[in-house]
Amino acid sequence: MSVPGDSDQDHLRYAEYALGVLDADARAAVAQEMLVSEQAATAVAWWQRQLAPLAEDIGEIAPAAHLWRGIRQTLKLDAPPHRPERESLWESLRLWQGIGVGASLVAAACLVVLVVAPARQEQPPSVVARGLMVSTLKQDNGVAGWTATLDPDRKQIIVVPASPAAVAPERSTELWLIPPGRKPVPVGVFAPGAVTTLSLSADLLTQLGPTVILAVSVEPLGGSPTGQPTGPVVATGRISGAPGAA
Amino acid sequence: MSVTSAAEHEELNRLLMRSGQGDERAFAQLYERTSARLFGVCNRMLPDRREAEEVLQEAYVTVWQRGASFNPGKAGALTWLVTLARNKAIDRLRQHHDSQLDQGRQIDTIVDDQPGPSASAERGEEYRRLQACLEQLEAQQRRSVREAFFSGATHNELAARARVPIGTMKSWIRRGLLQLRACLNR
Repeated sequence: MSVPGDSDQDHLRYAEYALGVLDADARAAVAQEMLVSEQAATAVAWWQRQLAPLAEDIGEIAPAAHLWRGIRQTLKLDAPPHRPERESLWESLRLWQGIGVGASLVAAACLVVLVVAPARQEQPPSVVARGLMVSTLKQDNGVAGWTATLDPDRKQIIVVPASPAAVAPERSTELWLIPPGRKPVPVGVFAPGAVTTLSLSADLLTQLGPTVILAVSVEPLGGSPTGQPTGPVVATGRISGAPGAA
Repeated sequence: MSVTSAAEHEELNRLLMRSGQGDERAFAQLYERTSARLFGVCNRMLPDRREAEEVLQEAYVTVWQRGASFNPGKAGALTWLVTLARNKAIDRLRQHHDSQLDQGRQIDTIVDDQPGPSASAERGEEYRRLQACLEQLEAQQRRSVREAFFSGATHNELAARARVPIGTMKSWIRRGLLQLRACLNR
């Protein structure tokens, strides 16, 4: 196969462009030439094809996971095929926990994320979930505080303490259900150190799904006075066993 | 990821074409299978990790937007992707690194990072042909061409790093390229 190019001189510029050694001006000149000259475009493409295998000598480096999300966000692509959208919130929580930001800030940020989360996210399943679902409610330190078992048939949720951090006696722990892109919905106040059964309303039942997050906040005695979490979120968890869960 | 077999190349071509047609799943798979290689390339060219990340993202945004222009009859998907990423990285380098790149990157960093002994055997035909032709160059020419490809540096910057006059560096690279062309066309 012969390579196009009037002269070595011309051809060298195309080769140098493909190699990447031209300065900004010379580079722009060749790029311009490629637009109008088939010969230039063909010569550059030939060199690019010849040189590209050199990239195999460079070690691979896995990019951080957030880069892919950034690409999708830039392109305004919808539901990612591999990970549920909630992952971002989940990872943000972990990140903040990892760098030692207080739980109340996490809670605040969590609410902000949820409130501003775009409506295009996956809708909660419209059918009532069947079968038991479980959620491990992990605390800031990664230790499970409680496990919650959801029983749609009996319309109840059973909260069992695992290793919950101490809660001040004049405070209550309250469980919240957070559907994607929506405000937390109160499930009920429970005793942090004892098995507690809470009832699930029909409305709550319809919202259960893999993208829902359960969260525990510390509230004034008797629960949040506002209907929204007012104290720090001390544990969160997703629901597995829910319809559509991975 | 090791993209070597013809079947793997075919698969990447298919994924890139489908990405160009707006297939999100194909795009995600393409990213999964090629992003580590492309990020390696970006990272080698841009010493600032953050910049390397930005360029990687720009590259894949372009893949999605311009994937339709990919023609597997002209070049394989990996060539297309590597070229795209390198172009983005070089553009970035030229934007503001023209003068500062050399600081802290002197001749010592221009090492001839040759492939490992087993590498050639595992690679594709095109890779082996290129390496065989590079082998025939004088050491200085080969080193300069390789370093130019890996770093995206200009003649000027390469000359400064190697501490040789720019004329010398240009001549190494140009003679190297001409010889390479002759060898590759053989």
